Amino acid sequence: MLVTGIKSKPVYAPLQADTRGRYHLMLGMGVGAAPLLRVIFEMQSAAARVLKNTRVLYVPDGGSATPEIERFRAAAVGNAQTFPGTPALLEEFRSTLARSLMGTRLYVAGTESFIGLAMKIALEFNLNKDEIRAEECGTSARRVYCIHCRATTENVRTNIASCVGCGRWLLVRDHYSRRLAAYMGVMVDAEAPGELPPLKEMFL
Amino acid sequence: MNDAQTIAVEVIGIEQVTPQIKHFKLAAVAGGSLPVFSGGSHIIVVMQGADRIHKNPYSLLGSPQQLDTYEIGVRRMEESRGGSHFMHDRVVIGSRLEIAHPVNLFGLDKIARKHVLIAGGIGITPILAQLEDLHGGGVPYELHYSVRSAEHAAFLERLRRREGDRLHTYYDSEGQMIGFETLLATQPLGTHVYVCGPAGMINHVIATAKACGWPDSHIHWEQFSAPPVGDAFEVFLARSKISVQVPPDQSLLESIEAAGVEVPYLCRGGVCGFCHTRVLELDGDLIHNDHFLSEADKAKGNSIMPCVSRAHCKRLVLDL
Ligand code: FES
Repeated sequence: MLVTGIKSKPVYAPLQADTRGRYHLMLGMGVGAAPLLRVIFEMQSAAARVLKNTRVLYVPDGGSATPEIERFRAAAVGNAQTFPGTPALLEEFRSTLARSLMGTRLYVAGTESFIGLAMKIALEFNLNKDEIRAEECGTSARRVYCIHCRATTENVRTNIASCVGCGRWLLVRDHYSRRLAAYMGVMVDAEAPGELPPLKEMFL
Repeated sequence: MNDAQTIAVEVIGIEQVTPQIKHFKLAAVAGGSLPVFSGGSHIIVVMQGADRIHKNPYSLLGSPQQLDTYEIGVRRMEESRGGSHFMHDRVVIGSRLEIAHPVNLFGLDKIARKHVLIAGGIGITPILAQLEDLHGGGVPYELHYSVRSAEHAAFLERLRRREGDRLHTYYDSEGQMIGFETLLATQPLGTHVYVCGPAGMINHVIATAKACGWPDSHIHWEQFSAPPVGDAFEVFLARSKISVQVPPDQSLLESIEAAGVEVPYLCRGGVCGFCHTRVLELDGDLIHNDHFLSEADKAKGNSIMPCVSRAHCKRLVLDL
């Protein structure tokens, strides 16, 4: 089967504080608040100065203000901000990076799609592996890039999905592109039109 | 690397650019173009001295676009074991030398958003070629060049003409110092720093950058150590089954080569790691002078970089 055996699926490790950095920028969504708070507590024991230079950008589940933001503030992170959705957060992330100085560490906690989108922007600013930490949590729904019409379908949880751009049924591959922050989707019934494998929930 | 891969060159220009630095232009004896290189590369120059062969690394300082000549700058070392004195005192226009193909251990990061170049004294040489690579590239950069005094600032006219206000000079004689802390604490994300100069300066830049939170992957430095002199000792090469005497003023690598045994190398300055050799037996101490092995590896004492390191012992057995 096409889905297996491709090694480009990104693998992320649990987040850890890197107190060698001078500034700490954290991006999170939904249940990603927990790992970020864990890092913040780790930093609290390391050095007080660090938290002054920590900034959190966060998308709560459901999009409205939640207890998480209070917990960030209670943990002495002065600068925690919520966003109604990922696009708004990423916009702020991009303009923050444009103003940021060397010495910044990036922490990302959220779904694989969220991490992928953040990484894509980080790459534009030449952040290297030793400046970024990411932890995957929440749903493993995929962003799928249609290799036929180049549209990207968000939140795909099934083995095959209908492309938002061209309507073709796409097989979701394990082939991940960092540049596109998406998995490749290939037309599944090219050889026998209309013959689809059974729909299965795969990326929950 | 072995001598079969060297290129015969002729010295076609010599200029004394500071009281201590001579600038040499080399062209291929066979005519035509020399091998392509990128800014930051060095070559090994092979010099046939009266009683021994010297092989010293020198950075290429000319434009990578101009391959009819290679340019190097050689500082006359006070405690030279011969190489720099040979270049200064014996080499004249028309002299022939052998050189090894260029190798780059100090290249520019291709996707950096900004470059900060820092040179101390003769350390300007690899950076001159890096600057050539940066011209017209659209990526912002700045050069901080520190020297003893104006008279010791090699290639200053060339730099002023080409770099304009991207050049910042600092003269020790006038008490001017690079403000490393301010410089490194205020760089935009995606900046890379490159430093070449005296050991103290390099260590200071690395330490300051790290204190400012810079990750290793954005810090680049080049420092070729000249192999220091030391006590004489004897080494046994286990695979070749020969004993070699290492005199005080010859490096371990040079002594092994003189005995006819080849060891791979790229830099001969303790940087590249190519000459890494296993130590099989030792009844004393290794004196590590390289920048390649980690402190932990140095402490283990089971390997050595013979291009710059020595031993203080009665018996040393190497896996060669
Ligand atoms: S030759 Fe490069 S470290 Fe010895």
